[in-house]
Amino acid sequence: MTDDLRRLVYYSRNRTVGAPEAVDATIRAILATSRTNNARVGVTGALMFNAGCFAQVLEGPSDAVEATFERIQQDERHGDVSLLAYEAVATRLFTDWSMAYVGASKAEADRYGDVADTSGFDIARMTGDRLCAVLHGLALEEEAAVAA
Amino acid sequence: MPAPSAVTSLPAGPFEAALAEMATPLLLLDAGGSVTFANDRAAVLFAGSPPVGRALPALLAARGAAEPGAFDDALRAGRPAREGLALNGGRRVEAALAPLSSGGFALTFEDVTEHVRSAALARLEPLTGLCNRAELHERLGAELAAAERAGAPLAVLLLDLDRFKAVNDTLGHPVGDALLRKVAERLRNAARREDVIARLGGDEFALVQVGRAGADQPRAAEALAARLVDLVGRTYVLDGQMLNVGASVGIALYPDDGRGADDLLKHADLALYRAKADGRATYRFFEPAMNVAVQARRSLEIDLRRALALKQFTLAFQPQISLETGAVSGFEALLRWHHPERGPISPATFIPLAEEIGVIVGIGEWALRTACREAASWAQPASIAVNLSPVQFRGGKLVETVMLVLAQTGLDPARLELEITEGALLDDTDGVLTVLNGLRALGVRISMDDFGTGYSSLSYLQKFPFDKIKIDQSFVRGMAGSAECGAIVRAIARLGASLGMRTTAEGVETADQLDAIRAEGCSEVQGYLTGRPMPADQAAALLI
Repeated sequence: MTDDLRRLVYYSRNRTVGAPEAVDATIRAILATSRTNNARVGVTGALMFNAGCFAQVLEGPSDAVEATFERIQQDERHGDVSLLAYEAVATRLFTDWSMAYVGASKAEADRYGDVADTSGFDIARMTGDRLCAVLHGLALEEEAAVAA
Repeated sequence: MPAPSAVTSLPAGPFEAALAEMATPLLLLDAGGSVTFANDRAAVLFAGSPPVGRALPALLAARGAAEPGAFDDALRAGRPAREGLALNGGRRVEAALAPLSSGGFALTFEDVTEHVRSAALARLEPLTGLCNRAELHERLGAELAAAERAGAPLAVLLLDLDRFKAVNDTLGHPVGDALLRKVAERLRNAARREDVIARLGGDEFALVQVGRAGADQPRAAEALAARLVDLVGRTYVLDGQMLNVGASVGIALYPDDGRGADDLLKHADLALYRAKADGRATYRFFEPAMNVAVQARRSLEIDLRRALALKQFTLAFQPQISLETGAVSGFEALLRWHHPERGPISPATFIPLAEEIGVIVGIGEWALRTACREAASWAQPASIAVNLSPVQFRGGKLVETVMLVLAQTGLDPARLELEITEGALLDDTDGVLTVLNGLRALGVRISMDDFGTGYSSLSYLQKFPFDKIKIDQSFVRGMAGSAECGAIVRAIARLGASLGMRTTAEGVETADQLDAIRAEGCSEVQGYLTGRPMPADQAAALLI
């Protein structure tokens, strides 16, 4: 199904407000769900997150990407989902599933160090890619907005 | 245990033949529940697993029954029983077990597959699998009865998609249908299990938030409505595309807003209407004043539909003065409606309504013909400006109408100025530009009215060479107190001059404003200072 490969890019605010423990639990739950679900349906991509927002790239067959995104849309924990792109692509940017913490806070980087695996995800390398650079920037802005 | 073949047929005789050949599937069971006889129809029903000699539960299990032990208790107790069974292949049967006086049991089957299927279909809306309108009424009636017994509040929410028609029109019905299925899925996700969700047709949905004793209404309904507006309004991806629709929601509460299903649905609909009028993508609760407002609107609508036939419209003519010569260069024809009982009705009230119900097309044509006929009779060849509604562009007959009116009245096309607002260009810009070019080809002039208030897109000025820009009166009125307004008037006047378009300042009421307008370089003025709207005969007299 390489002729039906699509890439979807979105970012959303984390709607869970309250104690850091609640935010922490929500983020871990979302990360765990996306890891298992996406692998099952052949969706790869990258998820960048911090305490304020998620920015995610989903790649795969259109049916699987559409179903995955619909599940995200119906998830109350995601607020203000902004869909940045949905397009047919020739090849995957991400051949695997990877996640990264992209916040500025050292404390949170330590907190999420264990879930943000490093499989093929190198922010320094990614910043070379415009798409990911934009997402990275958005994620940092969101975090700054939450902190303000 | 006897060999099965020994008991598949009974000794010959009319009763035995009747049993074997009767239209109803029949099994005879011994006291232990094993099959001793299966008639022809039963053999067909259990095709693939010959019944005779088998225990009933094993036989039912082989046929895919979800509860093969459904008759176990009755068999043990030797009493009659009746069970609905779902067999494999989607088959539904009603099975009746009857103890026989001679010992053992008779078990008969009635095939209710079609019955069950058609009953389910009759209640469901086929595209989304939600309840249909009839089922909604029935369920709502039952829930209201339950709510009354429990003293529990209940909420009815009506939801309507914004911009769905555009999706259907531009992307086709298959995409529209796929979108409706996704919307239905999101509604199911937002509601609780016990809530009733229905599709009422088109892009209209209903939810009944089932009453619970002690439920916190209206807060629960408000939370659900806010969730629906948010959830349904989130971007969809389907069929390889990104789609956006919004949702408007109207809410009526039992018992405060009505006790019957019809009243609640009607009131939720009024609230929905308000939500849409208030800018869409929002929700509104029913308020009794909405009833009054709707009655008033309906009554005005009835009067408006017959006003043209009853000759209740007139035109007033407001002079436009050339700043270069100080003389009357033309008039703008303004529509007036005088109702015998209501008195004069403001155009700001009736024109939007006339546009909404479509009668603006006939009224606009009347105004055009009347204005042209009047102007053709003037002693001097002054210009006559007539307003066009965006709705008039949609029928595809505007150019033809204008051509016909010019021919009928004999007015020189160069004297006719058609005024449009930016609103006309918003939807289907290309289609409107085609019409404008067609009008221009007739020799009439085109003005951009109320410039500066709407979207004020300079790209419109670039896309079509308007003959004139009319500067909205709010800027003229603001000039005295606000340097910004003066700057805007100056900018528009210069923009017009450099694009070769004349500029008319509207709403000039004082001599100071007139001096300022003159200083900014406008070509013409129109306002109470230089002439109020006047009847046709007075306008004609100004040109003698």
